[in-house]
Amino acid sequence: MKTLSGLAETGLLFGAFILLWFAPDFADDYALQIAFRVLIYLTLAESWNLLAGSVGLVSLGTSCFVGLGAYVAFGLMNNIDAPLPLVLLGCALAGGALAALVSPALFRLRGLYFTVGTLALAELLRLTMVNVSAFGGAMGIFLKMDPPALPELFHYALAVALIASLAITACARTRVSVILRAVRDDEDAAAQMGVRPYRVKLGAFVLASALVAIAGGVQATKLGAIEPYGMFGLQWSIDVLSMVIIGGVGLRLGPLVGALFVVALGEALADYPEAHVAIAGVILIVLIRFAPRGVVGFAENLSALTKKRANA
Amino acid sequence: MPDAGTILSTIVSGMLLGGILALTALGLSIVLGVMRLVNLAHGDFLVVGAYAGLFFLRFTGVDPLLGLPVIALFVAVLSVPLYRLLLAPLTERGAEAQMMTMFAVSIILENVFVLAFSADTRSIERDYATLPLTVGPVTVPLIYVVGFVIAVSLILAVHWLISRTRFGRDLRASAADAQAAETLGVDVKRVQLATFALGAACAGVGGTLIGAAFQFSPSSGAAYLLNSLAIVVLGGLGNVLGTLVGGLMLGFLQSLGGLTLGDGYRDLVGMALFLLVLAFRPDGFLAARRS
Repeated sequence: MKTLSGLAETGLLFGAFILLWFAPDFADDYALQIAFRVLIYLTLAESWNLLAGSVGLVSLGTSCFVGLGAYVAFGLMNNIDAPLPLVLLGCALAGGALAALVSPALFRLRGLYFTVGTLALAELLRLTMVNVSAFGGAMGIFLKMDPPALPELFHYALAVALIASLAITACARTRVSVILRAVRDDEDAAAQMGVRPYRVKLGAFVLASALVAIAGGVQATKLGAIEPYGMFGLQWSIDVLSMVIIGGVGLRLGPLVGALFVVALGEALADYPEAHVAIAGVILIVLIRFAPRGVVGFAENLSALTKKRANA
Repeated sequence: MPDAGTILSTIVSGMLLGGILALTALGLSIVLGVMRLVNLAHGDFLVVGAYAGLFFLRFTGVDPLLGLPVIALFVAVLSVPLYRLLLAPLTERGAEAQMMTMFAVSIILENVFVLAFSADTRSIERDYATLPLTVGPVTVPLIYVVGFVIAVSLILAVHWLISRTRFGRDLRASAADAQAAETLGVDVKRVQLATFALGAACAGVGGTLIGAAFQFSPSSGAAYLLNSLAIVVLGGLGNVLGTLVGGLMLGFLQSLGGLTLGDGYRDLVGMALFLLVLAFRPDGFLAARRS
């Protein structure tokens, strides 16, 4: 696959953004719903890919920041009637702040403990929301104001996905990418070269968490009512993991392909929720074993192979 | 505020349950030590053990606590193909690939439980389970004490296995440096397989004990996994007896949290503790004190 320059990629992203902005004028309600879900998932997957693909931090705590964003958004809208852009800024700040706050615990002992720590953090936040009545307890919270109409929400989701994609492009196409990869591949060697692994990982974690929290805020606004079991549910983390592994960890197109695939799978199996999750699990196992670079990586290998054949 | 006897009984009950869970945590700990794998399906192995105990009682009529060897063997045998088919091919690819594979196994198992046994919360009911045992001011369910004694005996047995036998020597060598052990003639793959099966058996037996003393549902796995991890981190990785101490500590602090803040806070205390220990004493409380 040809690699685009950073500038061309940015142009492409803006082009797609402008085209999709007018989608509500043509698409029906169902198509918009699906597109909304793809955009939210794309944001989550891009953020996860930034962490795992660039600095090697495998997170199972996506739900933690989705839930945080949801609760912060409802808190701001219900209590001070804040306008949505300001609300989403609050979500981003809260997500980034929580990531910074817990990083001393999560970055200890490297790798594996980060994954487990994110899992524990999501559970901790969920149990807090369930138990503290000020946060609505197990029943959750309703949005007091009327949520914006679907086309407007779609625009917000589109903008969030654009911001996430641009951020990833900036990380992947500039000098930053070298630093990120150095930390991923050999933290000690990177430290010898004058890179500060802790700061690099912290930066990536804060950025990714802020993006996920914004996506959580938009998703919650669309729902109109939130409760801890759904917003902090493991399902978010399962979906994100599925998307990135199906698409291809660390590959630029991986999250998009994965998001489309997972949303399509969810629609196809909407009537069989248990089978849906189990099938996602089977797909994960098969892909991790036989196509570790996912569908995008598989396609790249295939096209390289056919080219070789054609040249021979 | 409840009277002193109630407080004491709650705390002792919590510590007994913590001791029972320590057996499951031990299984998680040895797999983590030898394979560098956080087995995210470990909690679901526990649930497998709980269902195994339930159906063992239903079909044979024999008390599941007497059938523990059969249940241990059953869960261990189930884990062998998981290692052979799913984990062994990934050894070269680093810890993340194996961990995510076990995460996928976990979500599959959870849904298989729901499909096969419904989503109901269950427990293994025995008439003696509700009998109280009173010593002085402390009253605890008899089954807690029985489960605790079994769990502690098995933890001591695993301790003996690891510190005194040939298999234990190979296991410790593989945990310290797999490559060096391989060079010195240790069959690391076989040690890993045996460790994985032993870990699964610990989870399975722990599951039957928890199922008899407490309750479980198809989705209990995640909570028990996280509590087990908290115990492992509290006790210090690779420290068998430390795991037991970690279990008692977690049980103690959870009951304390439940008593002072309300019952819903029990699990919350476990998670908070886990993150706090990771932040401030990442090698566990015992290790930090010894050095």
